[in-house]
Amino acid sequence: MKAAPELPRLATWLLGRRLPDAWRDFVAGDLDEEFRTRRVASRLGAHAWLWSQVVRCLIAPPPVSSAAPADVRPRGDSMIRTILADVRYAVRALAHAPAFSLAVIAVLALGIGANAATFSLINAVLLKPLPFDEPDRLVRLYHIPPQVTFPGMKTFALSPANFYDWQARATTFDRMAIYQARQFTLTGRDRAQTIIAMGVGAGTFDLVRARPALGRWFRDDEDAPGTRVAIISDRFWRTYFGGAPDVLGKPVMLDDDAYAVVGVMPPAFSIQAWGLSSRDIWVPLGYTPEDRLVRGNHNAQVVARLKPGVSVETAQAELEGIARQLEVEYPADNEGWGATIIPLYELIVQDVRTSLITLLAAVSLVLLIACANVGNLLFSRALARRKEIAIRSALGAGRRRVFQQLLVEALMLSCVGGAVGLLLAHLTLGATSALIANQIPRVDEIALDGRVLGFAFVVSLVAGVLAGTMPAIRAGRTDLTDALKEGGRSDASVGLRTRRILIVCEVALSLVLLMGAGVLARSLLALRGVDVGFDPDHVLTVRTALPASRYSTAARSTAFYDGVLARVRALPGVQSAGAVDDLPFEGGSVQYMVVDGKPELSTREQPTVQVRKITPGYLETMRIPVVRGRDLAATDNDVVIVSESAARLLWGEVDPIGHTATLPLQSRERTLTVIGVVRDIRDDGLAEDVGAHVYEYSRERDWRGMAIALRTSVPPATLTTAVERAIHEIDPNQPVERIQPMTALVDQTIVSQRFSAMLLSLFAAVALLLASVGIYSVLSNVVRGRRREIGIRTALGARTTDVLRLVVIEGMAPTIVGIAIGGVAAIACARVLETMVFGVSASDPLTLAAVAAVLAMVSLLASLLPALRAARLDPLQTLRGD
Amino acid sequence: MRLDDQAYGAAIRQEIHARSRRNVSINAVYTTLDRLEQKGLLRSWVGDPTPERGGRRRKFYALKPAGIAALRQAYRAFTGMADGFEDRLGAK
Repeated sequence: MKAAPELPRLATWLLGRRLPDAWRDFVAGDLDEEFRTRRVASRLGAHAWLWSQVVRCLIAPPPVSSAAPADVRPRGDSMIRTILADVRYAVRALAHAPAFSLAVIAVLALGIGANAATFSLINAVLLKPLPFDEPDRLVRLYHIPPQVTFPGMKTFALSPANFYDWQARATTFDRMAIYQARQFTLTGRDRAQTIIAMGVGAGTFDLVRARPALGRWFRDDEDAPGTRVAIISDRFWRTYFGGAPDVLGKPVMLDDDAYAVVGVMPPAFSIQAWGLSSRDIWVPLGYTPEDRLVRGNHNAQVVARLKPGVSVETAQAELEGIARQLEVEYPADNEGWGATIIPLYELIVQDVRTSLITLLAAVSLVLLIACANVGNLLFSRALARRKEIAIRSALGAGRRRVFQQLLVEALMLSCVGGAVGLLLAHLTLGATSALIANQIPRVDEIALDGRVLGFAFVVSLVAGVLAGTMPAIRAGRTDLTDALKEGGRSDASVGLRTRRILIVCEVALSLVLLMGAGVLARSLLALRGVDVGFDPDHVLTVRTALPASRYSTAARSTAFYDGVLARVRALPGVQSAGAVDDLPFEGGSVQYMVVDGKPELSTREQPTVQVRKITPGYLETMRIPVVRGRDLAATDNDVVIVSESAARLLWGEVDPIGHTATLPLQSRERTLTVIGVVRDIRDDGLAEDVGAHVYEYSRERDWRGMAIALRTSVPPATLTTAVERAIHEIDPNQPVERIQPMTALVDQTIVSQRFSAMLLSLFAAVALLLASVGIYSVLSNVVRGRRREIGIRTALGARTTDVLRLVVIEGMAPTIVGIAIGGVAAIACARVLETMVFGVSASDPLTLAAVAAVLAMVSLLASLLPALRAARLDPLQTLRGD
Repeated sequence: MRLDDQAYGAAIRQEIHARSRRNVSINAVYTTLDRLEQKGLLRSWVGDPTPERGGRRRKFYALKPAGIAALRQAYRAFTGMADGFEDRLGAK
């Protein structure tokens, strides 16, 4: 009678899949029989026993044996059995050498963890597709401006009229949308604050295909002037509305107007790397019919979605054709204005791609050095076990088996090291992301996902193979006779060439890293030393934006800023103060300036200047020296002060003082008189050339966003509260957008260079440490192994200096070779860094000599310690000890 | 030898466990038995299905004369090597 089997169905199924037909019945039957018996005593125990048996059957089922004659020897254990045996053996062996195991795991954890962290950065920034629907079809559209007017500029914003013409005429796009930043004063909570919202044209969200988490998109008819609706981000919903579920319909107070919330975007939409998605509030753009006709003012951003199957090149060609049509139709505004398309992804990553890949290369070098170091450690350990390996070989273990055993040990250490490294990367991810959030886009998307875990696993395996192969091969070639007899060759002399090669590799790789760190550090110093043309020290800057609802006239905004300046100038510790619309390094208005008496040229040929609106006191505060003419006075009106470059550009060799000009983009009627010439300043970037600047002043100013600069005799930060109070005495509801020293603004321009230099220096320091520890440990072993020889030499009359020289040369010889090879490699790699350095060549010979000297010094020190130990050996004790 | 003609996989496994406290896996038992059979030291035959095994068959093993001889040789070698060690190793 056939009874029902009692084995769990899963166990039966697994065994059915894994066991050969010849054994299935017998093995499953035996398990079933014993399982029933054990279950009587304990269900839990029976299940535990059963599954341990099943797992072992799955790992190594009984072999399928053919009907071989009895005198044929069986083939031997399968590979998987031997590997499992090696794993068990390795666990025992490594557990018996905890110091060694921990040291190796620590070194590998450092190298693999750093690689995993860097890869997670690259994964988030470069590899992950943007979190939009079909992100490869999203593109940004720009003008290419006339190069005479805007030399070197490859992209420029669009004007509304041009956008609407492009939108109407282009056929290669699904949709196009226009958007523009809007500044508001947000009220309704504790204190008023300035907020940058995004005004979006009809169909923007539809184009991006971003569905709101709550509510809806804007309707097309809501893109009209005066529409007071808003869509908010998830973060804003939680902070401003406390995550209230009934937020739809509630008002957001912007410039004292109530904007009804109609939608809340999901967190996934808020990508900091793209201006459109990084905002907290979106409002309809609301162009008036007149706004839509503006063609000469380029201040709008455009995003578009290509039609399926249309390439960027095809769309580019079409847009160029449309731009040429518009040049003919509107020559006054459009002559010389071309078109270009940049994929959105490209725009986000192009600035950081080189830096990130350089970073990954650097961190890979650190891992290679760590592997060389670990290789040396594994080699020493293998040598210490020569006798054991020789016995195994004598008992029948072939070279392949010995090699496999040592490689499995190395792989186990590297996998554990990789796991620890991943843990370290995970723990430091939060802090690292916060540190680099300002310089690297998409930092908010960094995570240890499947791809990063896979990378870490592969790197762990590669590290194990790299570190373990040479020692494993070398151990397999152990001379059995020599290893087994007493008084055979000592550990120190065996495999010396292999260890020297590893030292050479470590030193060479360290030199490449040190050279990179060195040139980046020098570049940073050069940037810091650039003369910006003004004195940023002891200058405090305060930015405010006046809401249109309360400052609708020029008189009111003039009164505000004049009042604030008067109060601020009276504060103790303030030497001078002035206001400007855009501080250096904040960008600013670029306009045509038409000199009176000279014809207005076409837009393609008209030179442009950087135009800044200032008040008296600004130039003095920033210490921008007046070289001809005079500074502003409060009684002046409709005057300009030009920089030396602007004077040369517009008046040539003629002295511009007393001449007049107009800024047509602002007003063709208002004539401005030149009263002074000042020195040029750099305000585009420390590495950029000086610009042509024009500083204009009128007594009545319709300004809404201004920055106040004050020169202080005390540390600038100490005046923050006093300045805020001065502003609130004029208008208690006026938010202060940002207060910071001018030096902080200057530092922000080199934040990415500082970051790269800092990281590379950190890697170079780690590499130097690993290399010196490697040299030290190898030499210590050498000294230990050559004790007898040193004892004999000393007994025969060798002096301390002779012994020192013996050991130091042993350490310095591979160092010198490593420095030579590393130097060549560093020069070969210099091209990669060329775009990242300033004021110094990436293959600078002075830096190369300096880092080579540092490396040689460190190696010398690492060699001296064991050398001194050797020199202090008592020859009698040494010889007697043998 | 101890199990006579009732020496099949599960029984052998339990006998090893009872005498040596080693919890060997069933696949290791069959692998070893198969190897010994390939070397001509054992013979095997298949029994009838039984209800205690869910209707599955047993595979029985017994020593062949060559196997008995090999066992005897191994036993002699072991007892010779271990002679005199009972006191030192505290073996009972």
